[in-house]
Amino acid sequence: MEQLIKNTAAKLLRPDIQFADVRITSTDYEDITFMNGNLRNYSSGIGSPAIGIRVLINGCWGFAGAKELKESKIESLISQAIANAKHGSKFTHNAVQFPANKPTTAEYHHLPKINPFLMDRAEKVDYLQKLATEIAPANKIVYSYVSASFMRQEKHYANSEGSYSHTSFYNTMPAMMVVASDGGPVQSRNWPGDMSAGRGGFELFYEQEFAQNTQRIIKEATDLLSAPTIEEEKADIIIGNSQLALQLHESVGHATEADRIFGMEISYAGKTFVKPEMLRKYQYGSPILNVYSDSTDLRGMGFHPMDDEGVPGRKVDIIKNGVLMDQQTSRHIAHMLGLEPSSNMKASFADDFPLVRMTNLCIAPGKGSLEELIKSTENGYLLDFNKTWSIDDNRNNFQFTTEIGYKIVDGRIVGIVKEPTYFGITKDFWNACDAICGEEEWGYFGTFYCGKGEPGQAMQLSHGVAPARFRNINVSVKM
Amino acid sequence: MQQSISYLHVKLLQHPELQYVMRIQAWQTDFLRFYHSQTNYNISKSSISLSTTIYKGKKSYSFEIDDPHPAKTDKALALALSIIDSLPDDPDFVDIENDQTMAEPRKIANNIEAIPLTLKTQILQQLADAAKPYDFEIYGTFICNYSTERLINSNGLDKISIVSPIYLEVKAVHNKSQITVMETYGGDDFSYFDLKDFQTRLLAKICYCGTECVDVEPGHYQVVLAPRCLAEFVQYLGYGMSARSLDQRSSFFEGKLDKLVFPANISITDDPHDPEMIRKDYGSDGHIYKTLSLIDKGVFRNFLCNNYYAHKTGQPKNGNTASCLKIATGDKTLEELIGSVKKGLYISSLHYMNFINPKETSLTGLTRDGTFLIEDGKITKVVKNLRFTERIERILNNVIALENRSFTIPFSENYQAFDIETVRAPHALVADFNVTSSTHTI
Repeated sequence: MEQLIKNTAAKLLRPDIQFADVRITSTDYEDITFMNGNLRNYSSGIGSPAIGIRVLINGCWGFAGAKELKESKIESLISQAIANAKHGSKFTHNAVQFPANKPTTAEYHHLPKINPFLMDRAEKVDYLQKLATEIAPANKIVYSYVSASFMRQEKHYANSEGSYSHTSFYNTMPAMMVVASDGGPVQSRNWPGDMSAGRGGFELFYEQEFAQNTQRIIKEATDLLSAPTIEEEKADIIIGNSQLALQLHESVGHATEADRIFGMEISYAGKTFVKPEMLRKYQYGSPILNVYSDSTDLRGMGFHPMDDEGVPGRKVDIIKNGVLMDQQTSRHIAHMLGLEPSSNMKASFADDFPLVRMTNLCIAPGKGSLEELIKSTENGYLLDFNKTWSIDDNRNNFQFTTEIGYKIVDGRIVGIVKEPTYFGITKDFWNACDAICGEEEWGYFGTFYCGKGEPGQAMQLSHGVAPARFRNINVSVKM
Repeated sequence: MQQSISYLHVKLLQHPELQYVMRIQAWQTDFLRFYHSQTNYNISKSSISLSTTIYKGKKSYSFEIDDPHPAKTDKALALALSIIDSLPDDPDFVDIENDQTMAEPRKIANNIEAIPLTLKTQILQQLADAAKPYDFEIYGTFICNYSTERLINSNGLDKISIVSPIYLEVKAVHNKSQITVMETYGGDDFSYFDLKDFQTRLLAKICYCGTECVDVEPGHYQVVLAPRCLAEFVQYLGYGMSARSLDQRSSFFEGKLDKLVFPANISITDDPHDPEMIRKDYGSDGHIYKTLSLIDKGVFRNFLCNNYYAHKTGQPKNGNTASCLKIATGDKTLEELIGSVKKGLYISSLHYMNFINPKETSLTGLTRDGTFLIEDGKITKVVKNLRFTERIERILNNVIALENRSFTIPFSENYQAFDIETVRAPHALVADFNVTSSTHTI
C-alpha cells in the first residue's frame, strides 16, 4: 500500500499542480445492538477500502474519491480531481495558497487492551446480552437498548511535498439506555452519557463500569417520572464530565474552527461569532479557563502524528487564562490568519474531503474532587447526561437539557429534578465558570458522531474535561 | 455491480436453511461547494456497496462489502455463516418483506451528466452577479447524485430503483452586516428549474434586508413560517408517526389513531409520485412506495410501518418512510398572511432543532437565514436570530391559515449516508409562537 500511495502521489508532481495529497484508508467496523433485551442487529464490514485525491490548481481545490483501489479507477480519479479543480477555478477570484512544509514521515500503530475484532465472540455477545437482560423492560421500564460500535482504521497519507504517514487505531463507542413510562410522558436515562466513545477496544465497557450502573439508570429513570422540574429562574450549576464535554464541543470547539470565520461552512454547519481581531484579546472565559487542542495525546481519539494535509500533530492553546489565543486551522486558513497551522485537518474516510476538525480538544484540569466541589456549593444543581442540545448558527446562544439534575442544598445532594434545561450566551457562560475539578476527575470523553461538511462526515474525536461549576446560569425555559 | 450481487445470490441459494436480503448500490455524487461567490471545492465521489443480512430462524447477521468481488464476498459470507448459529434469537422477528409489487417504469435522467460542472458554475456566476450590486455574496452547495440500487431477497423480491436528486442551496450574505437570506431548489427533473424565477425570488429576499436589524424580546408572537420551516416541523413530527417510535413508547401518536389531533386545515400525505419533488419507487425493505395519508383534516390516519414493526406492533404494513411529505395548502395568499399580522415575525429557516421530549413533541431550535419583523401587515426590519422552545403539536394546533400555493423544499440528510429528500409545503400563519431568547447575532 505504501508503494501504491507513493506512486499515486508521484503522478501528481506536475507543474500545473501547486499541491496534492493522497489518502488511502481501510476500515473495519462492527455494530451490535440489543433492544428490549433481544439482539436486534449484529453487522460488520471488514476491510472497506477508500481513496481520495486532492489537488490544488490555479488556486482552487479539486477532489475525487472512491471506495475502490483498482489501478484504472485511480487513474480516473486523478483525471477527475484535476478536472474538478480546473473547472472550479473558473469561478474563483481569491486563490488558495499557503507556504510549503518540510517533508516528514510518521508511523503509529495503536493496539487496544481487548481487541473487539479478535476477542472471543461468545464472550462479547454474552456480556452485552447480560447487560441487555438486566435493563430489559419490566415494571415502569418500557424500552431499553445496549449498543456497541467498534472501529479499526488503517490510513496511509502522502503528499506532493514528500510527506508520508502510516497509522492504525481502534475506537469504541459503548452505550446503554432505558426509557420509563407510567402511561404519560416518558423519561430516559443513559449510561455513561452521549460522549462515551474512546480510543480503545472492548475494555471501555469495563472501564466505564456498565455492569455496575444498570440498576442505577433503571431507578433514576423511574424516579424521574415523579420528579419535579427546576423552579428557579437562575441557579449555580455543576456540569458533569459527559455533559461538559458536549458543552465544550459546541460552544468552544465548533466556534474556534476557523473555516467558519471565512464562511466556508455557512451552507450547513454555520458560522462563528469569533472574528480574527479577537485573537489574543477576547476574554472568552474566566481566568481559570484554559482550553487546548492536542493531537499529540495518545489517549484521545484525536491523536495523529500527522493530519490529513501533512501537518505534524501539535498541542495548541486555544484559550489561555480565559483569553482567546488561537484557532483550529488548515494550512490555507492559518496562512490567511497569520498563524501556524494547528494540525486540525481531518477526513473521516479517505474518500472524504479533509475539513477543519476538532481532534483532542480539552479543558485543562483545575483543583479538587467533584465531592469537594459539591460541598462548596451552597445551593444549585449537578447536571449530567445530555438529552437535548442546540446552538445557534454563530455558536453564541445555546440551550441544553440533561436527563437528570441532582439538587444541591448546603453542599449536599438532596434530590433529583427532571429535564433540567439551561441556556446562555457563550461568552457570558464561560466567564461564569468559577471552579474546575482537578486531575483526579479529568478524563477523555468522545463521540463517533460529530457532523460537519458536505457531503457530510461524522468524525470521531475526544474531549478532555473535569466537572466545572458555573454561577448564576439561566435555568428557566417557559413553554 | 450486477455480477457482484448475482455471485452472492448463487452462493446463498446453496443454503436453503437461510433467508436473506441483499442490496447492491452504485452511488455517485458531484458536489460543488461555494463561498464568497467563488468555488470552495469540487468533489466527485463514487462507491459500490453490497449489503446483506442473512437469517436463520430468528437469528440474523449483516455484513457490508465495499468494492465487492468474489474473494471478498466468499470471505464475508464464510464469516457470517460461522457466526450466525452462535447468536441469540430475536423473538420479534417473523419474516422478511414479501411485497412483490413492482413500481411503474419511468425515465430517470442522470443529473450528474445533465448538469455538468460548467453549467453549475455558469448558474452560480449569474446568481453571484445578480447579488453583487446589493453588496451580497453567495454561499452554498450545488449537488447532483446518481444512484442505482438492486434489492434481492429470499421471498422472491428483485427490484431496482434509480434516483438522481438535485440540490441547489444559495445563501446570499451581506458583506458587512452578515444578514443572510436563502433560496433553494430540489427535485429530480431539472426542467422544473427556472433560473430567472430562482434569481427573482433570491433578489426579493435580498431587498427585504435593506433595512434596520433589531433584536426582539422573548415572548409569544404571531409568526408567518416559510415553507421550509413548516416542512421541517412536520419532518420532526414524522418521528412520532413511525411504528418504531410507537414500539419504543416515545410516539406522540400512541393511542391517537383515527382521532382528531390537529385543526381541520392540517392534512399531510406521504406522496412519492409528485414530479416536482424527488420521487421514490420503493420504501423500507423494497416495499412499494404508495401515497399514504398521515393526517387527514386534522385526523391521524396511519403509522409509517415497515415489515418488522408491522409484525411487532400489529400496525398495517406500508413501507413508507415520510421521505416525500406534502402539506396541504390553504386559501390565502402570502400577502394576505403577512398583511393580517399587526406585530409579528416572518421566519425563513430553522437551525439545530432537537427534541426535549419526543412523546410531547417538545423541542428547541433557532431561526436563521432571514428572520424579519412584521409591523402593521408589512415586513419592516431584519431581526437577529432567535431561539424558540415549543411543541410541534402546539404549533400545528395554532395554525390560523395556510397559503394557497406550495413549494418544493429540499433537505440534505447529511449525517452519515448522504441523501436528499424534498417536502412540499405552503407558508403558514401561526399564533402564539414561543420565542425564548435572542442569539444577539445574525
